[in-house]
Amino acid sequence: MFKKYLLIVTTIIFSYFYTYSPNRHARRYTYIAKEDILNHMKFRHPENVSTALKSCTYQDIILENEFIEIVTITQNKSFQKPLSGGEFKPKHCLALIKTALIVPYRNRTSQLAIFINYMHFFLQKQNIHYRIFVANQNDTLPFNRAKMLNYGASLAMKLNYDCLVLHDVDLLPINVGNIYGCAKLPRHMSCNLDTFRYNLPYLSIFGGAISISTKQFKMVNGMSNSFYGWGGEDDDFYRRVNTSGLKPCRFDPEVNRYIMLSHKKQDANKNRFLLMKLAVRESENDGLNSLLHHWSIKLEDLYTYITVS
Amino acid sequence: MNGMNDEGISLCCCEYYDRNNERNHILACCCNCVDVDEAFESLITSRSITQQHKSGIMSTVQDRLRIPWRGGAKQVAFDAALPIFIIPVMLLLASISVWWTIFSFTTVAMFLAFIFNFLIRTIPHTKFFFVWTITSITALYIVFEFIVIPFLEILLEENIALSIFIFGFIMCWYLMKVRTKQLNNCGGDAEFGKIASRIQNCSVCQMRIPDKDHHCVWLDCCVGKHNQCLFILSLFFAEIALLYSSNLTLTSVCHPFILYKTVLLPDDCSDVYQLFELSLSFVSAVYSLFLALAIFILLLHQLLLVSLGMTTKEWSNLPLTSKFCLGLTTKRPQDQGLFKNWSSIICWAKNSRTLLNEA
Repeated sequence: MFKKYLLIVTTIIFSYFYTYSPNRHARRYTYIAKEDILNHMKFRHPENVSTALKSCTYQDIILENEFIEIVTITQNKSFQKPLSGGEFKPKHCLALIKTALIVPYRNRTSQLAIFINYMHFFLQKQNIHYRIFVANQNDTLPFNRAKMLNYGASLAMKLNYDCLVLHDVDLLPINVGNIYGCAKLPRHMSCNLDTFRYNLPYLSIFGGAISISTKQFKMVNGMSNSFYGWGGEDDDFYRRVNTSGLKPCRFDPEVNRYIMLSHKKQDANKNRFLLMKLAVRESENDGLNSLLHHWSIKLEDLYTYITVS
Repeated sequence: MNGMNDEGISLCCCEYYDRNNERNHILACCCNCVDVDEAFESLITSRSITQQHKSGIMSTVQDRLRIPWRGGAKQVAFDAALPIFIIPVMLLLASISVWWTIFSFTTVAMFLAFIFNFLIRTIPHTKFFFVWTITSITALYIVFEFIVIPFLEILLEENIALSIFIFGFIMCWYLMKVRTKQLNNCGGDAEFGKIASRIQNCSVCQMRIPDKDHHCVWLDCCVGKHNQCLFILSLFFAEIALLYSSNLTLTSVCHPFILYKTVLLPDDCSDVYQLFELSLSFVSAVYSLFLALAIFILLLHQLLLVSLGMTTKEWSNLPLTSKFCLGLTTKRPQDQGLFKNWSSIICWAKNSRTLLNEA
């Protein structure tokens, strides 16, 4: 009799802990409050101080909380024509942020058109100096997102950009207060995404859109070049960043709201199990320093097009 | 008849005494069926199957349909076992494509409409509807916990809130039954007379029910003045649980938008049939929306009847014209006014505490 009760009680307790275990659910996460964001941002101090221009300010943009209407996202937006290669500098003030927006890409022409059009419109509201790099994989192998990002990043480094935003082509930020600059720590930007029910699937997720300073990216030797096909590379990057003592941060969810262009569901779980299977790969020999520079660079009107073969 | 001889030896969980009082095993369910053999024989020799064989087959099937149980396999009634097959098959078929969804839901709805009248006339004590409710709850809960939750899009708080609503529903249902039983254990008709103006014997559950409203086949419980408050409460919990779970599911599998702060609604469900997990979650959410609609109508009906001081039976006897006037024009002998009607139901337990304590 006692045995029977013990069995029932154990089953109930076990199923209770299983059903309500936190890693079966979306997670709440710690974030930097909106008022505090400016203190955690990293700004450049331009060498050339003699210019008459005042420095740009960002506090008002962050606090204003301006959302772009979702229905208007795919419409044609009006923005100032950037320099050739998709570079833009605000004219009325001196930008304290110089960002390279790097987009890995293959075969998604319509999405790229919407993305480029929208991002110029969006970023020009933020008083930042930016340039858009599109890294296109031109071979028959499965898509290697991380490698494309490495190529984009190494070009941006050569051109002296000090902040990298690694961004998927189907993600669009809708809060103008989401400044596309770097925080003092690597930052996961797309943590409030509509296709994830505006929740975070798991705490170590580090894909979609992230920002990292060039110095830090170089320090962790970039991303791994050995992830072909879908998934895993962002978890590996999280591991690299985390083991280097740079704990990624997140800003206020309201600031970080994103819309995904394709509504197709991705299985976040698959990703998480991949992470568990991953052996610790050597980050010294696999990354920025192992890139073979088989690439060609073309300056389009609205972006710099890197073709990797 | 060796069944009588080894009566001393206890049965294992898969054994039973069949209708010829012989010891039989579940695994032997397809062996030694005289009627099937003869039916096949007549089929091969192209003679017609006699009525005797037909009923023989039916009763053998009835007899051998058993589930393993402690102390011998238990017989399950065929009508009661039906929902356990129908509901999963309906949900699985519906998740193939849009047209399958429409087909499978309409078929089941028509089947239900047919079998409702049929069963109530032929087998009044049937557990079909009760098992239907239990199976629906179980199937929906399993889909939610093991398919929707692993998408990692629902917060722990939301899951706990849903569990609380479901628990509230089951608790109210349980208390309804307990109160009916309690009432039947206590005193004679004299005590009953004190708490109710009319006492009816329910033909389905064979219990004495004070001021009987109706017998709810879905919950397998009689509803009278003594538990109508719990009944309404359980409907309310069921309604909220169904709406909430379907909202959580639909916002997970479809594309959501923010209605207000943390309240989400789905707006684009065009991709759900591309993946089996998504489509199964989607159709179970649609099924819970249908259930929620039915319960909503029932809930409104109950609220109206309590306010009017009528019972379901009185309402169904009303002519159509006075139903349109919400029953306000008819004479209601039990009506004590809106406030008293409600207070007599809400405070029933308090008013008849002395009687319950005696039991």
